[in-house]
Amino acid sequence: MVSKTEETQLNRLENQVDNGGGGAWEYLCLVRKLKVRRSEKVLKHGLSILNDPKKRSALGPEEWTLYEQVAIAAMDCQCLDVAKDCIKVLMKKFPESKRVGRLNGMLLEAKGSWAEAEKAYSSLLEDSPLDQVIHKRRISMAKAQGNISEAIELLNKYLEIFMADHEAWRELAELHVSLQMYKQAAFCYEELILSQPTVPLYHLAYADVLYTLGGLENLQTAQKYYASTIDLTGGKNTRALFGICLCTSAIAQVSKGRNKEDKESPELQSLAATALEKDYKQRAADKLDLLTRALRSLKN
Amino acid sequence: MAEDLVLDTAIRDWVLIPLSVVMVLIGILRYFVSKLMRSSQVPDPKIVKEGQVIVRARNLRAAANFIPPKSFLSRRVYFSNEENGLLFVPKGQTQNAQAQMFSDPNMAMDMMKKNLSMIIPQTLTFAWVNFFFSGFVAAKIPFPLTQRFRSMLQNGIDLSTVDVSYVSSRSWYFLNLFGLRGLFSLILGEENATDDTQRMMQMSGFGFDPSKSLGAEKDGLDIVQHEWALPKFEHRAEAVLKKLIR
Repeated sequence: MVSKTEETQLNRLENQVDNGGGGAWEYLCLVRKLKVRRSEKVLKHGLSILNDPKKRSALGPEEWTLYEQVAIAAMDCQCLDVAKDCIKVLMKKFPESKRVGRLNGMLLEAKGSWAEAEKAYSSLLEDSPLDQVIHKRRISMAKAQGNISEAIELLNKYLEIFMADHEAWRELAELHVSLQMYKQAAFCYEELILSQPTVPLYHLAYADVLYTLGGLENLQTAQKYYASTIDLTGGKNTRALFGICLCTSAIAQVSKGRNKEDKESPELQSLAATALEKDYKQRAADKLDLLTRALRSLKN
Repeated sequence: MAEDLVLDTAIRDWVLIPLSVVMVLIGILRYFVSKLMRSSQVPDPKIVKEGQVIVRARNLRAAANFIPPKSFLSRRVYFSNEENGLLFVPKGQTQNAQAQMFSDPNMAMDMMKKNLSMIIPQTLTFAWVNFFFSGFVAAKIPFPLTQRFRSMLQNGIDLSTVDVSYVSSRSWYFLNLFGLRGLFSLILGEENATDDTQRMMQMSGFGFDPSKSLGAEKDGLDIVQHEWALPKFEHRAEAVLKKLIR
């Protein structure tokens, strides 16, 4: 994850480079280090370095890293010719390299020739079955072709070995949600909460999934996770506030017939509603009317 | 010992400087040879997986209170049940590292290569120094030392009357052998410095057994008391909202 100071530094540097203030190489290094996706800028500034023989040779061995970075950025921007040229240069320099082979696979993928890309990746995997990037490429290829269930299958296989990779768990969770397999998604979000217990995003997503699943127990749990999201974000998360309101009314509806004593605090709901009203008043006064109507309909 | 020993300048030119230069050159040569012989290691999927299992189990142990009790219990069973739990290592399978080393010829080969690149040049240079330069007083350090340093600095000279600040050639060899690390890291780059002492440490700690850490993690997981933290969060959220509204 990119921290705030790093992001401001990146933006400052980007601004400087855009306005011709130099420091393009530093910018590209920072992009690579933070793993952010700013392909257009990378393509533009990277090419300006690569096309200038003096600047290029000043980089020394880092030159090849730059070629790789620009090639990937070019594929992202669909400038396949540029990518092809970069890869050709790299091929010449490192004819046996797996890293270049990976780039080649990605180029095939960008062209949309799935079968060839698949062949390239699987031949690479034979040599090094533990290459995480190639595994991930295959998964994203299945996803790009719209074959979600195969992507899930591949991802499961990947996670069997690399089970501490939380990014992969997150991807799996989102794929499950897109197929409406909420129970599986809930499991993945639990895994994410375990690996990073203080990220409110995961608490929120988990609560959403539980709320969608329904049932008294799930609703109560969802409410708790919405509450924890509020706590972790300092009450700034609108979705969590709405979630509290919805959960309370849904719980009331479910437990209406059973005549169970309502020990859940309705206070939290009224507090959330007030917080919402205050927030709307500040930021979108014209929609306040809509909000009050919606909240009223929830109460009945 | 009133009068100083006068060292011939020829000793400086023909013993001290050649010895140091040869030591540096041998160090560099050894670095390149070991680089040539290093075989790229293909990691074993099983070992990678074990490492990942440990990370995940540790996460579970650390953040157990953030997931509902049911989820925690099912995960704990998944990790540590006695049939096919991920952390459970059957008794018979705990092969010790020594046996594993002998069963895998590659590993033994690697060890041998490392050993060869370390021991052969060392014995050769030591023999060379002994043959040509034994018995020289090669240098004098500019400060006095106590008698205890005699065995360190005057290896090869059995005279108790010589002042300790004189260094014999064989001791100069040893000082170079262990003291050139800083110079190598300057010449070859930070990580590339060949350090014999460190390598020896690695050798002794070689027999690391991952199944032991699996077992330790399992024991840790078994004694975790699960206490769901989320009910507390409701009250905290109320407090946060109250503050926000005010």
